Amino acid sequence: MFLKKLKPVGNLLVLGLVSSPVLAHDPIFGQGPHVLFKEGVEIATEFHSSKKGSELENELGLEMNYGITGDWAIGLELPYEIKAEAGTVSSGLGDSAISTKYRFWRKDSKGLQESAAISLKIISATGDETKLPALGSGTTDNIVGLSYGYEGRRWYRWASVRHRQNGTSSVGLKRGSRTLLDFVAGMRPTLTSYSEPDMVYLLELNGEIGDRATLNGNTVTNSGGDEWFVSPGFMWTIKNFAVRGGVQLPVSSNLNGTQSKSDYRAKLSFEWHL
Amino acid sequence: MKKIILMSVLVVMTMLGSIQPSFAAGTNYSMRVDGLACPFCAYGIEKKFKKMEGISNINIDLDKGVVSVDAKEGVVLKEDNMKRLFNDSGFTFRSMKKTEK
Repeated sequence: MFLKKLKPVGNLLVLGLVSSPVLAHDPIFGQGPHVLFKEGVEIATEFHSSKKGSELENELGLEMNYGITGDWAIGLELPYEIKAEAGTVSSGLGDSAISTKYRFWRKDSKGLQESAAISLKIISATGDETKLPALGSGTTDNIVGLSYGYEGRRWYRWASVRHRQNGTSSVGLKRGSRTLLDFVAGMRPTLTSYSEPDMVYLLELNGEIGDRATLNGNTVTNSGGDEWFVSPGFMWTIKNFAVRGGVQLPVSSNLNGTQSKSDYRAKLSFEWHL
Repeated sequence: MKKIILMSVLVVMTMLGSIQPSFAAGTNYSMRVDGLACPFCAYGIEKKFKKMEGISNINIDLDKGVVSVDAKEGVVLKEDNMKRLFNDSGFTFRSMKKTEK
């Protein structure tokens, strides 16, 4: 019985994937300081796929954001998960999340905006963690973040740091906390006008530094470690509609014990500003 | 008979011509706005102006950092309101130029 309870542990460890809130001209995998205009509504659907050894995870998410002020937004994420591992497939609602972001600094000049924001995301245990593979973590986790962005007509650059603190599950598993570092550059090859379709290409460097998990106070050897990814991506927009996508490719893995390295992660999202 | 019809048409056209300027009368406001870098992000500006009664021809020039709108006669845009509108959209209002049409 205990072993059965422990079986999802392997899955739970990979649930540490951190999806960034979809927000306008923010990086694909990292985070930027962008928020919505006051009383603006953003609706987004996002497809997220990742492969790590024999584990394949596909997620279709619905995300909504609302601009409380021109510098403060709140959001809700509802993911639908389809997971496969060693021939076993499970699907259903994943862990939903609420988030907020506050842009505390903004410096505007002609055709340029520099800004910084803080963010908080609380991920609740709405996914079924007893399914195999598990759809949820069974814990309430939170992510705090700080991001900086430079957005010009031609060039973009962002940097962010986020820290994920995980809760303890009913079987006594506490996944290790993770620190996420993101450095992103972007370029708009053609300076389009307001009503024309607009394309921005991105290149991200995403680092994930994870602590070891503990099970009833004992360290889980095969957990935690560092991974770094190089992630090309794009943002295509026309007026209030955007398509964003990218692929995370691992360039460095230093995982503790015996763990599968990430093969890839991919993301594609469609967003509307209403 | 033809003369009467022709005269009637001319009178109607003249009347329409005299009415038209009062439709087109109004003010063009050209505003210098900072922070305009991407079209997707600027959509909030268009949305906010569209909500306003009597505003038309909303143009956003990202390269020049200029937003211009036409306001129909009787509609007046004030700097304080524009500061708030652009701030709520996530940008910084700098100045405004008014041209009577």
